[in-house]
Amino acid sequence: MKALKLLSAVVLSAAVYAPSYAAGYPEKPVTVIVPFPAGGASDTTARVTTQKMQESLGQPIVVENKPGANGSLGAGQVAQAKPDGYTLMVASIGVYAINPALYKSLPYDPTKNFDLLTVAVRTPNVLVANPSFPANNVQELVAYLKKNPEKVTFASSGAGSSDHLTAALFWQKTGTTGVHVPYKGGAPAITDLIGGHADVSFQNLGAVSNHIKAGKLKLLAITSDKRNQSFPDAPTLKEAGVEGVEVYSWQAIAAPKGLPADVKGKLEQSLTAALNSPDVKTKFNDIGFEVVANTSGQFSEFLNQEISRWKTVVETGKITADQ
Amino acid sequence: METVANLWLGLETALSFWNLAYCMIGVLLGTAIGVLPGLGPVATIAMLLPVTFGLPPVSALIMLAGIYYGAQYGGSTTAILVNLPGESSSVVTALDGYQMARQGKAGKALATAAIGSFFAGTVATILLAIFAPPLADLALKFGPAEYFSLMVLGLVASIVLAHGSLLHAFGMIILGLILGLIGTDVNSGMTRFTFDLPQMADGIGFVIVAMGVFGLGEIIGNLENESTRTVMLKSVTGLMPTRQDLKRIAAPVLRGTALGSMLGILPGGGAMLASFAAYTLEKKVSRHPEQFGKGAIEGVAGPESANNAGAQTSFIPMLTLGIPSNPVMALMIGAMIMQGIQPGPSVMTEQPVLFWGLIVSMWIGNLFLLVLNLPLIGLWVRMISVPYHFLYPAILVFCAIGVFSLNNATFDVYLMAIFGFLGYVFRKLDCEPAPMLLGFILGPMMEEHLRRAMLISKGDATVFLSRPISATMLVIALILLVTVLAPAVRRKREEAFQEEG
Amino acid sequence: MRSQLLQKKDLWAGVLYIAFGTAAFWIGRDYPMGTSGRMGAGYFPTVLSVVLVLIGCLSVARSFLRDGDAVGAIAWKPLGLIVGATALFGLLLQTAGLIVALLGLVLLSAVASQHFRLDLKASIGLVLLVGFCVLVFVRGLGVPLPLFGSWFGE
Repeated sequence: MKALKLLSAVVLSAAVYAPSYAAGYPEKPVTVIVPFPAGGASDTTARVTTQKMQESLGQPIVVENKPGANGSLGAGQVAQAKPDGYTLMVASIGVYAINPALYKSLPYDPTKNFDLLTVAVRTPNVLVANPSFPANNVQELVAYLKKNPEKVTFASSGAGSSDHLTAALFWQKTGTTGVHVPYKGGAPAITDLIGGHADVSFQNLGAVSNHIKAGKLKLLAITSDKRNQSFPDAPTLKEAGVEGVEVYSWQAIAAPKGLPADVKGKLEQSLTAALNSPDVKTKFNDIGFEVVANTSGQFSEFLNQEISRWKTVVETGKITADQ
Repeated sequence: METVANLWLGLETALSFWNLAYCMIGVLLGTAIGVLPGLGPVATIAMLLPVTFGLPPVSALIMLAGIYYGAQYGGSTTAILVNLPGESSSVVTALDGYQMARQGKAGKALATAAIGSFFAGTVATILLAIFAPPLADLALKFGPAEYFSLMVLGLVASIVLAHGSLLHAFGMIILGLILGLIGTDVNSGMTRFTFDLPQMADGIGFVIVAMGVFGLGEIIGNLENESTRTVMLKSVTGLMPTRQDLKRIAAPVLRGTALGSMLGILPGGGAMLASFAAYTLEKKVSRHPEQFGKGAIEGVAGPESANNAGAQTSFIPMLTLGIPSNPVMALMIGAMIMQGIQPGPSVMTEQPVLFWGLIVSMWIGNLFLLVLNLPLIGLWVRMISVPYHFLYPAILVFCAIGVFSLNNATFDVYLMAIFGFLGYVFRKLDCEPAPMLLGFILGPMMEEHLRRAMLISKGDATVFLSRPISATMLVIALILLVTVLAPAVRRKREEAFQEEG
Repeated sequence: MRSQLLQKKDLWAGVLYIAFGTAAFWIGRDYPMGTSGRMGAGYFPTVLSVVLVLIGCLSVARSFLRDGDAVGAIAWKPLGLIVGATALFGLLLQTAGLIVALLGLVLLSAVASQHFRLDLKASIGLVLLVGFCVLVFVRGLGVPLPLFGSWFGE
């Protein structure tokens, strides 16, 4: 047992070197929690943004993926973390605005548990169809849906996903119905759409832009307020006569509630600078994202709008995800 | 002749000093993490993603791809040596590979895996180079109905995996199917069997179940008989396969390569089935099926070739369509995006250097793996001759850290402990875990595709028979089921007659 | 060799299937069944749990009718120690940190072997293993494992 004693002595003495606190934030690596698996939109946003932020903060930023339960597992962890500026979160519209509308109990409250920092990027959804689908524009689609109620299949990246709710909103605003076919994520939904196994879908522009260019998918409309420069021929839904389906998927950055003012200021400054730097902007534009970089006040106002909007959609459409 | 010109371009790219170096680093790293139980390519690639930002896109992808197939390869090493399958594909390798290791033929098993993998990798790379676009179109033909039928076929095939009682094989498959349903139901978004634990909302990871049932179960089982039985039965004999062995594995390697290449193309979980399918096929065509599960070299050669072929061809939907066929491919797409490359059909035409460079580098990587691993076999074999009471705590440590790294969650470590307990119970009751694991993988996919197919067809169940690919697979499944059940039924009748007489 | 009924593997395997099947059926009793055209979340689980219970019954019946192997002695000590050591690792990881958790895991699990002696060779092996894990997993791969947990200040 002598060896064991010696060993524990070594271990304990090493443990005494705990870091001491000082004023200059940050003085150790910052962790960014992404409540989704690596490789997804939130992850990409986090990595592109933090790579730039490291330069101004002078400390490494570590992206930690904490997937589970539609992002609420990781978000719940962030909600309980120490508000010292060493734990941040990059998450999607789903975590901030849709989960609260959809689930009765969540391990976090997006309006109460977080210091909202900024909406980093957003991307419009696009209404796409398999090229062989009979309707060639929104008007034809609406007419077709009315003639064939509960027939046309709408693929989505999951029950309660942003594209599912966009489809529900579209049905509500046009007075039509369709069959919602959920998939495990966007990729298999797009695959089945290209293969002609499903008919139409609302997808993030970035995820399908190449398929549209290659003629594998037919672009019917875009859900943004203005036309997109990459696809100038595609009308917005509003132009096509469907009001109130202006939808973006967005990624935003937050920290646990109660950040010290100086830390918050430093973070906001570094975030804005990183998001507005030309190379980061180009990188996001290349994948169909648009940099928003708004202030924390604008973010919190926007968040309240989004939550109440999706609550209405969920209640009107009687959409449930946890029974 | 365009292919030749393209391959030449790829060769030029892949053979540049730095790309060779990154390829080498990738396969080395991949092998290392593959050998460490629990730590998979997904976690590693995710962690190394930031490192690749600084590299040119081609080098980054070459390295990441190297990690992926290197890890596939390394995973089989652990499966063979200590019965620890860290990837779904190496579950079947463990069945006969581990038995060979216990008989002192670990070297032979490892060499067979290396040679089979290299051959399969070569063939699959050629397929990739010549037929990528048409093969990708085949992948699109697979809709929910086809996938469901494929899963049925896989399930029937999994009965063949068992070598003991047929009843228990059925029982364990169903148990696996039920365990697989834990988590969020894709079709309704509802959580099932999660005991309201958010950590279980996404289901239980395959690695957790495999590490628990195989890894921990094996350790407890070995300790149980510590005094009466040494873990490795015989001293190590013959590191390399003999000429006779090579003759025995030639056909299985060919069949495995063909099966793996085909299944790997399917983005909806085809590659996962490759090694299982190859094992089933080998056991069915073998003239001595009773040797399977007891150290049949064909049971290593076929699945390992299929596994590696599938790993290569699973790049086809990713490179030609921008569709990820598994989490690793999703990460590769993430890496491409971060390099400013939009994955999709245009990659081949707009980024020929990347496309062909990557393909050629995969072949070179496979060559590296062979050259690297054949000499290492001696070292590995020596490693398992370390006294077991030193080896197993280390195995446990790697399992625990590996399982933690999947989701960075301690909860998963507890789950592994529970499955370790179950694994021991299964051992005591002669319930084989391999069919359970296949049921576990197939269960959720099967339900998902069945319900989706019915949803799309508006409740018309004839879609499974009216679509030719789906119907063909169901017929094969039926034939397979009959050939599995018939001998058992016949035996029963013979027993009955004997009792009467 | 004829073994006692209560010792038979088939009996206990059957009991295991029935237990799992019944539990799955019970937990899933409120999941909506839907129709075969539009299956609900409860359709698959219910069908599967009923099949599993049936298989369990068959296995139990077989144990009455046929000779079978006995389960044999249960190795409680390795079972408890290995499972316990793994759970302990999870417990200690966040509170005491990786290094203490590793020591706990290795030492507790090692006791399960009758060949275990904490001599010089084993201690050196232990230090090397811990060092390897810290270097490779935490430093090299960046797995977010706290080296020292909440017990040590932080």
